[in-house]
Amino acid sequence: MEKFDCIVIGAGNGGLVSALTLQKKGKKVLILEKGLAPGGLATSFRRGRFEFDVRTHELCGYGGVGNNGEIDSLFERLGIDSKIEMMQAQETFHVIDKLTKDEYTMPVGVDHFIEKMEEYVPGSRDAMTTFFGLCEDIKDALSYLHSEKGTIDEKDLYQKFPNFVQLAPYKVDAVLEKIKMPKKAIEILSTYWVYFGSAIDDVSFVHYASIVYSYVLYGPAIPKYTSHELSRALENEFKSAGGTIYYLSEVEKIDVEDGEVTGVQTKDQTFATSHVIANLSPKVVYGKMIQKENVPVENCQLENERILGAREITVYLGLNASLEDIGLHHSTYFLSNNLNSKVEYKKMQEVFHGNVVGFVPNVINAKASPDGTCILTLTSLIFGDGFDKLVSKENYFDVKEQFGDYLIRCFEETTGISIRKYIEEIEIATPLTFARYTGHPSGAIYGYMAKGYDNLLPRIFSEEEETRIKGLRFCGGFGSRLSDFSSTYLNGEDVAMKTLGE
Amino acid sequence: MKDIVMEKDQKKVFAKFNDLALGRRDITKHSSKDLPKYSYAVNEFVSVFHPSQMEVVVTKIVEENENTKSFWIKREDGESMPPFQAGSYITLEVHTNGRIYKRPYTISSDTDSLKEYRITIQEEKNGIVSHYMCYDCKENDKFTVYGPFGHFHYSMIRDSSDIICLAGGSGITGVRSMIFDLLKSKKVSSIALVYGTKTVNDILWKKEFDELAKKNKNFKVTYLLSEEKRDDYPYGLMDEELLRSLNLEGKTFFVSGPVAMYQALNEIFIKLDIPNKFIRHEEFRDPLETDEEEIYELTIHQKGNVTVIPCKSSETLVQSMEEGRFSAPVHCTVGVCGYCRSKLLSGTVKTDTSALRKKDVDLKYIHPCVTYPLSDVEIELP
Ligand SMILES: Cc1cc2nc3c(=O)[nH]c(=O)nc-3n(C[C@H](O)[C@H](O)[C@H](O)COP(=O)(O)OP(=O)(O)OC[C@H]3O[C@@H](n4cnc5c(N)ncnc54)[C@H](O)[C@@H]3O)c2cc1C
Ligand code: FES
Repeated sequence: MEKFDCIVIGAGNGGLVSALTLQKKGKKVLILEKGLAPGGLATSFRRGRFEFDVRTHELCGYGGVGNNGEIDSLFERLGIDSKIEMMQAQETFHVIDKLTKDEYTMPVGVDHFIEKMEEYVPGSRDAMTTFFGLCEDIKDALSYLHSEKGTIDEKDLYQKFPNFVQLAPYKVDAVLEKIKMPKKAIEILSTYWVYFGSAIDDVSFVHYASIVYSYVLYGPAIPKYTSHELSRALENEFKSAGGTIYYLSEVEKIDVEDGEVTGVQTKDQTFATSHVIANLSPKVVYGKMIQKENVPVENCQLENERILGAREITVYLGLNASLEDIGLHHSTYFLSNNLNSKVEYKKMQEVFHGNVVGFVPNVINAKASPDGTCILTLTSLIFGDGFDKLVSKENYFDVKEQFGDYLIRCFEETTGISIRKYIEEIEIATPLTFARYTGHPSGAIYGYMAKGYDNLLPRIFSEEEETRIKGLRFCGGFGSRLSDFSSTYLNGEDVAMKTLGE
Repeated sequence: MKDIVMEKDQKKVFAKFNDLALGRRDITKHSSKDLPKYSYAVNEFVSVFHPSQMEVVVTKIVEENENTKSFWIKREDGESMPPFQAGSYITLEVHTNGRIYKRPYTISSDTDSLKEYRITIQEEKNGIVSHYMCYDCKENDKFTVYGPFGHFHYSMIRDSSDIICLAGGSGITGVRSMIFDLLKSKKVSSIALVYGTKTVNDILWKKEFDELAKKNKNFKVTYLLSEEKRDDYPYGLMDEELLRSLNLEGKTFFVSGPVAMYQALNEIFIKLDIPNKFIRHEEFRDPLETDEEEIYELTIHQKGNVTVIPCKSSETLVQSMEEGRFSAPVHCTVGVCGYCRSKLLSGTVKTDTSALRKKDVDLKYIHPCVTYPLSDVEIELP
């Protein structure tokens, strides 16, 4: 039986980075991936002459030359920065309020962002400046926390980062009100909330601020050849460093003896190892991969409290005309029924709720599709179980089309841009599609809901205590840094370093 | 940066801060100790719609004509077949000559009858699987099948509500289930089917189509014979004149048939300036011209194992794997689905990369099912 220092289950963002980090430190690492390609959700697919990125999200925290963000620095450490081509967006987002038809286009760069906000919401400058100041404090505190190995002393932390300790327990709205952010500015600033897959008044300010800051400071970026390019670069680097990756290898069991990991089994292979990093939901790992008597009761109790994050429906459209011909000018369109995110979240418990994010990669990367064509993806989050109640064996394909049709109609009506007649290729992904390719419970793609004690800081602070089976750790969207691209990459490195420390 | 004070009392500040971790511990104290639930309604749906493979048994064989047979298959485990969109195919695994072959066959039965699927196989000259199925397969024989797969489907969003189906030979299989599905569900306003075969006897389901045309004013069928001249049937191949006569403006074409038919039609589509958007076709492979027959060595790396087998310049790498008794991961066999995607580690090949991701083309990934060796070749399979 072959023996590895560490086996990583799942080649998603977190898994790839964990594996590469450990392999580069001289460990012998094996990645077992059930699918056919690296990246998990960070992948692409072909239809006709188009190549679609599965996830519409842009990467935050990249930055590039002269303005290195956390992700760029991570990619440098991993040795892939020179092997990928990233393209920077010129604006952060464009939001349209369906109710009032008001539109707001927000630029990249903290100063520009503040100025633009002042233009839209006179009198917001001071609060906005405070907001970004807090963002900076939080960023510093978080990187301190992530690099600190031992236990944290709150008094010491308070000395270093008073604002961080003060704000840590509060949600986004409480802090923004406290710093007297004007109502309209709160609404515009909250636009990104849909990227979190949780309601804004559930998300901790610390988490929200760190991500928004990263978008505004460094600007959103996309890989020239879709996120598949990043995943392949990580995979190649891992292989060049001597790492082993097996595809079509679904892990069925993690062997545990006396509270320690001893090995991993797929349908046809068994491997020995004392370290496993699972890039998947702990619900799945504890629920079916480990023999019942070896699963710590406390972990079951925790998992039984945790709520799956949002799911989504995405419509991928290959359009047979250029951006100019169609009239698409923004890379990211947030279409909102109501800019008040709390009202919007309530509305979004309905299945057909009309909150849609449109993403047009060609605005950032003219070559995202062949000349004279462009790509538009429309995404709508799903909260609650309305989707599950609606779908049956008999109607699934029709419901899928109904969703596609609805999202296109929402986009056309809100923006006044017609796209239907240009559709050359269409693909529609539902929670079923995401569940099929990732295996995640219910097709959840945002990990667990960031809510109450399952927010960023409680997760980080409890990580060691909750690591009860020696040698078993989790990375990726269900991990401690939560679920966006940048967080999962960074979390991959954290977890690798912790494993290395053992 | 100025200090923001949410809480003045330092003790309370620390208490709240520490509660982030402690509160999390408390909240789970009273929750269930059962193993966590990991499979939800959606995950159950996944196994219904996309079983990884199915063991099936042939319940009935129908001789459709001299060289075509239909096979009704149902699952051995008694479950119903997965729901599918008309136009989908399954991949059939056949064991014969001590080798394993996998071939795609379009489901020709109706989308609303899932007790069984029907596949309809036309015997190909020198074809291994089609020959086996048409001559050796008996009722109650058992097979493994994969799928359903494919993207040859009607879309209400993308496609015109007036469609033209151009089918040739066994290409009628998927078109048949599409037509029945679309007329039943009233998703389209009109369907014109042009169905080309060699002779009258080759026409499959003629009675069914004729009856359907009688019942549905919006469905028209034209049979076209290429090797039999008769007064009551048009003669020849699908050409420009025929296409023009169909009033093609703004209509969507569904094309399914032999490769030669795609090639001929493509030229006409270009000439008539019909945008890609209006042309949907069944997955197929453009055969690549190969030179004289050379024999090379194919080295395959897969999950840490290395296998060396001979390969021929006139055969795809997948065909060589079949001959060399190496079980290849294939579904479509025509370079479209991506299931066989492998990294070319060394050697030169002739291949079709049109369905690969851009980055993968740069990184020398290939689809072995449409790759011919021009030297010794080394690949890494998934
Ligand atoms: C998406 C899809 C759907 C399909 N649906 C149907 C369907 O519904 N019904 C149907 O009948 N078919 C269908 N086909 C075709 C089917 O999959 C098989 O290709 C067909 O049955 C031939 O398989 P075979 O094993 O008999 O032939 P193969 O043995 O694969 O041979 C195929 C052809 O290649 C030639 N050939 C093989 N080996 C060599 C060689 N060494 N040198 C030169 N030439 C060679 C043979 O002469 C033959 O003409 C479909 C194909 C696709 C891609
Ligand atoms: S089997 Fe589908 S691409 Fe090769």
